[in-house]
Amino acid sequence: MHIDFRIDGGLAVFPGLAKPVSIDCAALPAKDAARLGELVRKADFFGVPQPPAAAPMPDARAYTIAIDDGLQCRTLTFAEPIAEASMRELVAELRLRAGTIRRGGGTR
Amino acid sequence: MLRRIASRGTPAQREAALATLATDQTLRLARATHQLLDLGARRPPLTLPERAKQRTIYDAGHQETLPGRTVRAEGSRAGKDVEVNEAYDGLGATFDFFAVVYDRNSIDDEGMHLDATVHYGRRYDNAFWNGRQMVFGDGDGDLFNRFTISLDVIGHELTHGVTGDEAKLVYLGQAGALNESISDVFGSLVKQHAQKQTVGQADWLIGAGLFTSRVNGVALRSMKAPGSAFDDPVLGRDEQPATMAGYVHTTMDNGGVHTNSGIPNHAFYVAAMAFGGYAWEKAGRIWYETLRDRRLRQTSTFRQFAVLTAQNAAQLFGASGRKTVAAAWKEVGIEVGR
Ligand SMILES: [Zn+2]
Repeated sequence: MHIDFRIDGGLAVFPGLAKPVSIDCAALPAKDAARLGELVRKADFFGVPQPPAAAPMPDARAYTIAIDDGLQCRTLTFAEPIAEASMRELVAELRLRAGTIRRGGGTR
Repeated sequence: MLRRIASRGTPAQREAALATLATDQTLRLARATHQLLDLGARRPPLTLPERAKQRTIYDAGHQETLPGRTVRAEGSRAGKDVEVNEAYDGLGATFDFFAVVYDRNSIDDEGMHLDATVHYGRRYDNAFWNGRQMVFGDGDGDLFNRFTISLDVIGHELTHGVTGDEAKLVYLGQAGALNESISDVFGSLVKQHAQKQTVGQADWLIGAGLFTSRVNGVALRSMKAPGSAFDDPVLGRDEQPATMAGYVHTTMDNGGVHTNSGIPNHAFYVAAMAFGGYAWEKAGRIWYETLRDRRLRQTSTFRQFAVLTAQNAAQLFGASGRKTVAAAWKEVGIEVGR
């Protein structure tokens, strides 16, 4: 499974944080890959309807997630606050993981 | 309730209840009439009952569900939670600023309750206004400290509420950048007012203290020198322009609302410095009247906004006020004409 994740907007623009992050699950430790797979499944990423377009809330962010699981691929954009708890969980996990990747793995 | 007392209570109770009902209905009627006639002034000239803040702070407990559990209500004493106390005090300072300086009764000028949620999400590095309340994350602890740390950020978020009540500037393109800039302007003025700073003493920064010591930067934005707030290996470089020559065309961030806001931000800074003294007295007053100006459209451009600030400056402070404001806009590349 391959995941592309992008954060747009927020209280300030940080060009470094706006860059998309790619996650190749095959390259992750098995435990992390399994956790991501479970979150994607629980969020029903390939089944949920496209979130409706809404007027943007000041300083809120939008998250774009593209997932290719080998059988299907799909891109969805969610503006926060995200209504569905399982989708919130997935986005929170990807947000924290993206932070780690940007810092070069762990510490900087 | 009042209606029941009015029909069934003792004569004295009845009289009091009827008086209250009458006042209520007068207010409601005046508002409705005002809305129907759509008069030039935004509000009917009424003396509203005493103006008091009603703050409630909620704790999301690191979930992303709003509003969360009530942890501090108006009048209750400070506890041990720093975020809760900063949010409570920041809401208070913002309410006081608008009340004392511009005679405004809360976000909607009708005493709207002020709600804020802290500890939102896991290591959540943002703050936003959801149309009804403010939301603050704790920061990721690596790049960002808690988002309640800067009074100007709290003022920024509440001002989104004021703009949503007044000009309703759409959050896109130039109107969106104006919406952002107005939040920076009054966010900064809330801090300057609380610290009794003159234009020369103010730092003109938005979000000072928000970065951890690991970040190479001083704040999210600088109104004095847009584009100079941070330059960091992870965050990247502050790309705010100070003039129209640097206007950024992008599809990200609703058309660069947090980037191009540097232009009107800097115009405000230049005007405030030229007026001198306390920024909220002249430049702030002009911007506030422009925000409430019926002629300001939801899709206003920088230039349309600038022209209105010049007109309001003339009305409030005469020809010299107008000249000062026009010169400030000219410095950022916007001509307001004669
Ligand atoms: Zn904002």
